[in-house]
Amino acid sequence: MEFKKKKLANDLVVIGEINKSAKSAAVGFFVKTGSRDERIEINGVSHFLEHMIFKGTERLSAFEVNEAFDKTGAQFNAFTSEENTVFYAAVLPEYLAEVSRLWIELMRPALRAEDFDIEKNVIKEEIAMYKDLPSYYVMERCKSLHFDNHPCGHSVLGSEESIGNLTSEQMRGYFVNRYSPNNMILAFAGNFNWEQVCSVAEKGCNKWQKQDVHRKLEGCNGSKKRQRLEKSNLVREHICLMSPSVCAQDPMRFAASLLAVIVGDDVGSRFFWELVDKALAEAATMQFGAMDGTGTFCSYIHCSSENVSKVLETVRGIFDSLSENGITEDELQKAKNKILSALVIKNELPMGRLTDVGFNWIYLNQYRRIEDDINSIRAVTVDDVNSIIEQFNPGNFTQLSIGPVQTN
Amino acid sequence: MSERLDKHILKNGMVVLGEPMESVSSAAFVFMLPCGAARIPDGCCGAGAVIADWIFRGAGDKNSRELGDALDGLGLHRISSVGSSHITIGAALESGNLAQALDLYADIILKSRLQEEQFELARQLAIDEVKALDDDPRQKVMLKLQEQFYPSPLGRSSLGEIAELKALTAERTKQIVKDKFNLTETIFAVAGKYDFDAIVKQIENLFETNQQKQLKPVRPGSKADKYTHFHNEGAQVHIGLMTETVKPTDEDYYNARVAVSVLSGGMSARLFTEVREKRGLCYAIKAQYHSLKEAAGIMCYAGTTPEKSQETLDVIIREFNRLSEGINKEEIERAKVGLKSVLVLQSESSSSRAGGIGGDYYMLGRVRGLDEIKNRIEQTTIDSVLGFLRSSRFKDFTIVTIGPNKLAIDY
Repeated sequence: MEFKKKKLANDLVVIGEINKSAKSAAVGFFVKTGSRDERIEINGVSHFLEHMIFKGTERLSAFEVNEAFDKTGAQFNAFTSEENTVFYAAVLPEYLAEVSRLWIELMRPALRAEDFDIEKNVIKEEIAMYKDLPSYYVMERCKSLHFDNHPCGHSVLGSEESIGNLTSEQMRGYFVNRYSPNNMILAFAGNFNWEQVCSVAEKGCNKWQKQDVHRKLEGCNGSKKRQRLEKSNLVREHICLMSPSVCAQDPMRFAASLLAVIVGDDVGSRFFWELVDKALAEAATMQFGAMDGTGTFCSYIHCSSENVSKVLETVRGIFDSLSENGITEDELQKAKNKILSALVIKNELPMGRLTDVGFNWIYLNQYRRIEDDINSIRAVTVDDVNSIIEQFNPGNFTQLSIGPVQTN
Repeated sequence: MSERLDKHILKNGMVVLGEPMESVSSAAFVFMLPCGAARIPDGCCGAGAVIADWIFRGAGDKNSRELGDALDGLGLHRISSVGSSHITIGAALESGNLAQALDLYADIILKSRLQEEQFELARQLAIDEVKALDDDPRQKVMLKLQEQFYPSPLGRSSLGEIAELKALTAERTKQIVKDKFNLTETIFAVAGKYDFDAIVKQIENLFETNQQKQLKPVRPGSKADKYTHFHNEGAQVHIGLMTETVKPTDEDYYNARVAVSVLSGGMSARLFTEVREKRGLCYAIKAQYHSLKEAAGIMCYAGTTPEKSQETLDVIIREFNRLSEGINKEEIERAKVGLKSVLVLQSESSSSRAGGIGGDYYMLGRVRGLDEIKNRIEQTTIDSVLGFLRSSRFKDFTIVTIGPNKLAIDY
């Protein structure tokens, strides 16, 4: 593996990790923008803009864009979160330059009004789709309750109302500032020729104008509020618990991710043995979400209405025991083994490697080899994990549940 | 890319397959046990899901907790699924831990404790999973679709039926394990970094018996109704649609795959273009090839708000039927490049290769090499695909919807 980096005159950073033995290559633009960067009246614009990028440029229609991607056989897509918008493609090495040229061209989209109007319908369909996915819906609502007025609580999709009112002019204004070359990176991984992709990047991106672009970073302890919503078509209780954690830049993030595996991995965790193995809940997981300047522990459980009290009592017992006794050496070792093997398997694919290399640069401004992450995970001690428990007390959480209408 | 396939057959008929991958340090393995939903006796629908959980609740000299801890200690990522024909269990892990993992899996398959009190928990979880399906209409619509499309019992739900799960006993389920965990029809597949000689030796030690016993083949019965609607006051109507096509053993298989790719291979394919890009009817729209050994179909999903649902279904059906009218040169080229590219990208993942070679062997009795598949895709032409589509037009569509409103079906 060989790492390469180049900064263009307009501050666009191009990075790449070359693996000559890979059979494919991956390319991605990581744009440092998401729902936390939106004013509430344009909530959902980052995600909508992600869709509009595919609608083409002054030169290419939406259909021509799709055709151009499909011609290369690329596995391509994009996603938007609270703080990042990522466009990526995995492709056979001989098509990498072509796909990269295409992404570069698309990063300066036409944002045509007629495309905007049709795509607005698709966004509204996506909002409706997630309403029918309680696992997603409960987390989105809990995030909003936990972050309260903090911008990380903004919905990624926006609401029917905010999307309905959004204009293409508002989107254009947002785009010009947020898709500035100094607010994004272009990353490559896998089997590719660095000189070739660099020249493609220079030629395509050097005219992009740099902007003055900022993100407000504030910590968040969480509201610790409790709320239950009812939906007549649901049959199970969906429960989300959220509490604060370390941020993506914090060296303790490895200890936080190990704690999440110990408490809430889908098998073999404390949640698993106490809730799922005993058939109190069908699913119970906890995840660590590292974000820019803040972080969360987020648990998701679904169970029958009858089991809710027992489940919450058990969860209370698990968190109390963590606060009182901490974790064991044996638990930590097992969690390390799981995370290390997942890391190795994920990074065998150029697409998996692209996301790690890209996000490390976005959050840390740093290249980290897989071995660096492996060593950091190996070095975590029981005391490190216990100090996270002590500092953040994950048992003191915001709670949102959604379930069927209660008759009594 | 190495095109090597390792193969060994035990005296009892159990097949051992391997595909080495040079650039990885992981390995993935699967055991395909002939105990899938369609092979479960009538009246026990869902027993597969219970068994896939129960066998992990203690095996050999380890109780449930000790076994779970031992698996976790190896850092392995479990693979577990119940299909129509098989229960597939296995794992992806660092290759250094492979031998230890195989010892544990041999205990799980051959020496599971199958204790009564653990059975109750496994069964309760299986019942809860079926209930929870009502909160996931997207998954439910596709399960119901397969149930309705394939002649019974081939499409039987792997999750099961609540009434039958409630009636299931530990004794009955234990008997199913005894009858169906048949080594003669078990396939073991490994991909990634491994030493095949060592694997064969270990598998022989663990699984060799002198006994060969074939299971009775599944006898497909009749097909269910053409259209079923499940009422749900959700935000969308979830549409599942399926129509018959050729199986992987058919000489037209690659023509069928290319045709599906023209329909829904990428974002420039017809369904995405007509349903989402031109009309904004859906966010999610996708058709894909789906096959069992006995039958195959093209399966399509769309989720859309109630007021757009009828138009969505009408446009989808129109696109299926329009396919045989003509395909242009660019379309077929994109479809072929797309299929070949997916093939190569998937070949980089040890889990996907282990599943792939095992599946191939079951379906075809042999494993196709990457080059063979690429060549066969390459050999398809507009004429061959159109010839196939015209000689076997889409006749019947099986349709399932879940949502606030029913649709008019006049196809």
